[in-house]
Amino acid sequence: MIGPSGPGVPGIVRHGAVGPLPRTTGRQIVVLADTGEDTPVDWARVGLHSVADSRDFADGDVPPEAMQDAEATVFSALGIAVVTAEPGQLGLLQTAEAAGRPVLSVSPELVHHVLPGAPPEAGGYTAGYRDGVADLAARLLAPPAPRAPAAAARFEDTAQATWGVQAVRADASARTGRGIRVAVLDTGFDAAHPDFAGRTIAARSFVAGEDAQDGHGHGTHCIGTACGPRTPSTGPRYGVAHEAEIYAGKVLGTDGSGTDAGILAGINWAVTSRCPVISMSLGADVAQAHPPYSAAGRRALQQGSLIIAAAGNNADRRSGNPGFVGAPANSVEIMAVGALDQALEMAYFSARSLPARGGQVDVAAPGWEVYSAWPMPTRYNTISGTSMATPHVAGLAALWAEATGRRGLELWATLLQESERLLQPSVDAGSGLAVAPQ
Amino acid sequence: MTHVSVTVDDGHLAALDGVVQGLRARGMQVDQVLDGLGIITGSVPPGAAGALTAVDGVVSVDEQLAVQLPPPEAPVQ
Repeated sequence: MIGPSGPGVPGIVRHGAVGPLPRTTGRQIVVLADTGEDTPVDWARVGLHSVADSRDFADGDVPPEAMQDAEATVFSALGIAVVTAEPGQLGLLQTAEAAGRPVLSVSPELVHHVLPGAPPEAGGYTAGYRDGVADLAARLLAPPAPRAPAAAARFEDTAQATWGVQAVRADASARTGRGIRVAVLDTGFDAAHPDFAGRTIAARSFVAGEDAQDGHGHGTHCIGTACGPRTPSTGPRYGVAHEAEIYAGKVLGTDGSGTDAGILAGINWAVTSRCPVISMSLGADVAQAHPPYSAAGRRALQQGSLIIAAAGNNADRRSGNPGFVGAPANSVEIMAVGALDQALEMAYFSARSLPARGGQVDVAAPGWEVYSAWPMPTRYNTISGTSMATPHVAGLAALWAEATGRRGLELWATLLQESERLLQPSVDAGSGLAVAPQ
Repeated sequence: MTHVSVTVDDGHLAALDGVVQGLRARGMQVDQVLDGLGIITGSVPPGAAGALTAVDGVVSVDEQLAVQLPPPEAPVQ
């Protein structure tokens, strides 16, 4: 709700202790509850009798004169009304005794202005061009800037939780992923790992001649990050969605290799098993989107399954090579995840967006020095990669799926909408750091 | 043999059997029919993949990609 004390109201100078207060019109903005029924508000209760409804006008187009004449104007499609009344007068609509449609909030109508900017005088464009050329020339002629010093770490592993679990705020979330199936398509899972005793785990191998047991470690590590326990018997918490149902699909063999056939079979199994979240920490360094993955991603979304894939580790930012997002993450229909370090800066290996459609990094997550489960007897391991960032987002997707009931593209949009923006280029970090619902 | 993934168009998702028959008739050894995704995987003799695009309902025929993780002891995976 926009109120007079809200920050960053468009067109209003930010008002601190000495700043101007936002101007108001004297009218009130009333937000009506979503009742699902067309119950009118009991306007008469607060002495309002002249009420205009947007449905009484062609195309819902209420002319300004009508708004001035009416004491209350209801925008039916929005569930919002503009009302001429004293602030206290409308409080009666929010009491339990009020008949009719409930009122969620009443706020003063604000006066908005065009955002202050360069005046549109004739010389503006030319001056801007001049400034741009001057800036470009200065950059080209300047000696190379020294590499920026590494930023200070903002997070570190503690006895309670890994830095990644803290950074995505999973440890502060009341959500657990309960009731949400998370498929991790990887090298399988160590079914003997004590941290997962008692958990609901469906394991399946799509690699010929191998069972679902993890003979590499990568898959167990990724499952640990996405779905590890809230309180392991030893060491810090490393898992995000600690009550999610685990679907461990082995699509990469003990040697770490796999092909489309096994990966697509794993996706098919996860979609058919109605997993809302499919985590794929795998990829090939090809710049073109691979049509089967695009089709699989699209059809998975249509059936309520969101595929989240690693952007890739083919960058070496230390030597100026930003890399590129590989397949399957470079399909439009598949979410691509970049890797962050403890300073919430890009890990040196994290691949950058391709210019082609679909080739963008969508979101970022912890992928540097990530502590998680490893096949026994080793039990835990700390490794880095966009492979480690991806299951953080998968676990977060499970939390959001639980919190909102959203699936598919809606779940995708929620993850991006809710992500914390970072001072990193969008080509590297997409919408920023994925975070948990609070 | 070349391993391929055949993507089927939306109009043939409910009629994958017919597409499979068409692919077999053009020399494809069909390994999996992924009915949840509308994708059929298998293999064809070298040079025969192009002929599969003529089958009614086929959107694309792509040689399968291979994925390879670094070894377990690698610091970046």
